[in-house]
Amino acid sequence: MADEASLDARIPENLLRRFEPVIRFTRGEWFYPMDAEPYVRACSLWVRHPGEEAVCVVPAGHLALYKLAQQPEDSAGAVHYLKISPPKEGEKRGFWARLLRRRAHDGPDWPRETFRAGRGRLARVGYVSRLADALFSLALLARGRVPGGDVEGARVLYGRLMEQEVHFSYHGRVVRQDGWIVLQYWLFYAFNDWRSNFFGANDHEADWEKVFVYLSESESGEIRPEWVAYAAHEETGDDLRRRWDDPELEKSGEHPVVYVCAGSHASRYSPGEYLTELEFPLPRAFAAVRKVARSFWYRTLRQYSDEYSAETPYELFTIPFVDYGRGDGLSVGPGQDREWDPPRLMMDPLPSWVSGYRGLWGLYARDPFEGEDAPAGPMYDRDKTISREWYDPVGWAGLDKVPNRTEELGVILKRQAEIETRCVHLRSEIQEKSGRLKALGTEAEATRDRSHLRKLHETQARHIEELSREVETMRAELSNDEVLHESLRDHAGRLRNGERPPARAHITRAIRPVSEAETHAGRVAQLWASISVAVVLLTLIGIFAYQRQHLLSALVFAIAVFAFVEAGFRKRLTRFIGSANIGLAMVGALVLLQHFFWQIIVCVVLSVGFYILWDNLRELGR
Amino acid sequence: MYRQTRLLGVLLILQVVALVGFGVHLFISIDWDRILALANEQAQTLPKPLEQRLEQAILFVIFFLPPAVLLLLAGLSFVLLRRRGWLLASVAQGVILLACLFFYPDPRPGFAYPIIAYCILMVLYLNSQGVRAVFHSKGMTPASRGSETARGG
Repeated sequence: MADEASLDARIPENLLRRFEPVIRFTRGEWFYPMDAEPYVRACSLWVRHPGEEAVCVVPAGHLALYKLAQQPEDSAGAVHYLKISPPKEGEKRGFWARLLRRRAHDGPDWPRETFRAGRGRLARVGYVSRLADALFSLALLARGRVPGGDVEGARVLYGRLMEQEVHFSYHGRVVRQDGWIVLQYWLFYAFNDWRSNFFGANDHEADWEKVFVYLSESESGEIRPEWVAYAAHEETGDDLRRRWDDPELEKSGEHPVVYVCAGSHASRYSPGEYLTELEFPLPRAFAAVRKVARSFWYRTLRQYSDEYSAETPYELFTIPFVDYGRGDGLSVGPGQDREWDPPRLMMDPLPSWVSGYRGLWGLYARDPFEGEDAPAGPMYDRDKTISREWYDPVGWAGLDKVPNRTEELGVILKRQAEIETRCVHLRSEIQEKSGRLKALGTEAEATRDRSHLRKLHETQARHIEELSREVETMRAELSNDEVLHESLRDHAGRLRNGERPPARAHITRAIRPVSEAETHAGRVAQLWASISVAVVLLTLIGIFAYQRQHLLSALVFAIAVFAFVEAGFRKRLTRFIGSANIGLAMVGALVLLQHFFWQIIVCVVLSVGFYILWDNLRELGR
Repeated sequence: MYRQTRLLGVLLILQVVALVGFGVHLFISIDWDRILALANEQAQTLPKPLEQRLEQAILFVIFFLPPAVLLLLAGLSFVLLRRRGWLLASVAQGVILLACLFFYPDPRPGFAYPIIAYCILMVLYLNSQGVRAVFHSKGMTPASRGSETARGG
């Protein structure tokens, strides 16, 4: 009976249901995880061949999941994509109706919820990023983007599908890799409305997000959850995962709690507002100048060197966006506002729409940054290659170097045995070579100062040097191995005692919600952040137009005033004044040098001379 | 620590004295009797050299009176060991340097050069590791002040 229960527990669907996540949304969210099938049925399938207009290959109403894999009219460079059909006449609303709908979600069944934006996005960064943000918004007019009406179309479609059948679904997959059992929860959303509704970076039709739970199986067949990894934007690696006993990981029974950010659907471990920075590479010349300037400032002048980090990516500049993962909206999961429907499995056999359809799941906007293009399915990236999270879910979260709890003692013992064997081998080799070294040394001593044995002596000396280096290397290796062996023994001892390494030791850059103080920047600071770029540009134009005769002075004065105000709002006044003074002092020094070059040289030489004289006389006097 | 702040205070007050000295010198060197005489004659314009001297003196007051007040306050702050003193002194040095470098047209008046030189030295001193450690550390409680005074004073 117990065996049957154990077998039953290992059935993929049961495993998925046992650890399925609890998802907490932000108030004002429009789209929730759904079954991909009704979405596909409501879409049309399009294909765009290079240099040609897109053509509809399967009209809306004739498409189904199983047809997706056929990918009609496929050829080199073709991009297949789904497209949400525009709302029918009866479903279209006027401007005011849309405005009212934005204020209150009138979905079929869930509570009316409104979103209130936090304050302080632009107040958290400087002029350059604000200017870049303005340019980024302007660039949307030129680059490919999801049309403004699409979010309304998607909302109407989603509302219609929910009216037909209210459901909250995920697509599940269970894989075994490197001793881990990976439960994959793939969450499909009809639309990513981060830009339209939550002041974010992008919009796109369809959104695939994921939450992975990593399990180990003990020798007795017991299943243990060990790690989880939540996907957020393009993040990968160690920082993505949390250990099951990490205090940051909130759980409801055996269900990990996920805070989904409004619109972007990025998954987070804690509720709050996250500053997500869009990174753009600087042109190489600018990056080089910035690197040199930073190094000169922080390292040569030692100005605020405690804040200097060589790892700071100087070749990037960033635009800030806020991800609202407040968790104050609908909660989906076991025992929550809404329960999950039974999972849609993507395994045994692998559905053809997963493996066969390599196209996009929504509009192909031809955005060069790809932010506005719809994503590909769970198995593929936008470039049609298989995604890492599909073929290597363990490595995707940086777990490929971590043995699970069942394996870890075995791994340590195996490694210890290997090291022991190597140490034995090294010891015997060192002994043998030391013997040879001594013999060579004796021979060399015997041949020293014998003119007829000069060549032999030189060869012996060379051999001694080589052998000595070799023995030294081996001794160092042996020493390292012995230390490593000892560390492994201690580590194994701690594990046997039930101790575990720190849960967060693997995290190098934990993404945390911004603090309350940062979130609620003062109204004046917020107003300044909103208008500053425009005011700066207008002032510069004014100076160029009306103050040409005092151009330099006016520019310096204006820049100084703006920088001073900005530093004050960003609470960096002290640092700003210190830095500005150093800059001014350098200019002043150049002015003095230009006017009093020879006098300064004479003074310096005299000072050095007097110092040397004083120092020498002081030594004599002792 | 206390010795360092006291030294800073003295240096700042010296700077104020120097600025006041330059100002007084500028005003004394103006021929006020002649200006009064011209005013009595209801002359429309002043002779060029006199006008330049007067303009220079007024500009000096406009540019250097506010930072001189800041310097005096900073000097007093240092005596009282308030952290705000560093900010006041730095702002004053910045304003003086800006005024000397950018707002005096060529030819720059002779007194600007010693002022620039003094400001450079003060900026370097204010930004030195030791001074920054004293004024940017958050541990300047009255208790720590007292113990430092007892040791270093």
